[in-house]
Amino acid sequence: MPLIGALPQPITSAPLVILIYAVLLLMVASALASVVLRNTLYAIGAFAATMVLVALLYLTIAPFLLFAAQLLVFTTVSVALLVALLRQTAGLESTQEPLSREWIVGAAVAAALLALLIVVIATTSWPVRATTSAAAGFGATLTNTYVVGLAVLVVILASAALGSALLLVAPTLPSPRGGGSPRPRAPRR
Amino acid sequence: MNVGLNLILAASAALFAVGAFAGIARRSAVQMLIGTQFMFIAGCIAFVAFARFGLGAGNATSGAAVAIFAGATAVAELAVGLAMAALIFREHRSLAVDADRG
Repeated sequence: MPLIGALPQPITSAPLVILIYAVLLLMVASALASVVLRNTLYAIGAFAATMVLVALLYLTIAPFLLFAAQLLVFTTVSVALLVALLRQTAGLESTQEPLSREWIVGAAVAAALLALLIVVIATTSWPVRATTSAAAGFGATLTNTYVVGLAVLVVILASAALGSALLLVAPTLPSPRGGGSPRPRAPRR
Repeated sequence: MNVGLNLILAASAALFAVGAFAGIARRSAVQMLIGTQFMFIAGCIAFVAFARFGLGAGNATSGAAVAIFAGATAVAELAVGLAMAALIFREHRSLAVDADRG
């Protein structure tokens, strides 16, 4: 591919830089809140906030269509699915103890993973290629270059919708340990 | 002060670590699925960042296209995962994935 255009430059406009820093900080904070909060409804709220902040990040560095898809499709559908599950269940409060063994192991693994990724990011000199216009022809790229991918995606989404609907309407199979009853079990004496 | 590739990649790494923490530490199926969503989104952000600032800038729309595909796949995974969580709830009256333990 011939090198057309200028090399990609970092964003230096002060208001935009401040906006991106704020969005990134809030995004990570709300993501952390959504996995730490014990109330599932609050966790879903924090998850929705994270998705909206990701859409805002896309607005600053990606084509507008990606922002629109993230905000209108992915955020809406994800939150609707989570709220629909909550309406079918009543499990709002987590029974897990804070600072349990799983929390300590999970925090250690996540910290090690984060440290590894930060070291890789900081020590690698990423190659740069001359840029072309990102805004021009994003829809054309999707429907021309990635037409097979788009078709596969439609099949995947249709299969997921059909599969999840079948799972929801399927009768519950009796489990070997005597589960499967729609009624809650009586407390043991 | 400016915004470049490394800053966006660092935020993406932080989001991935939060998702990994949720997958390991949480027992609630809902929060584990939210964690997998965060790991998908972290990958999408890295693709978009490379398309804007790095090697992918030669074909800048490809990163966004991959992000669209990955986001839609994540939503499909969430739909199936939540249906399985609903089945777990019907069986055990709890959204904890290890309700059988003990």
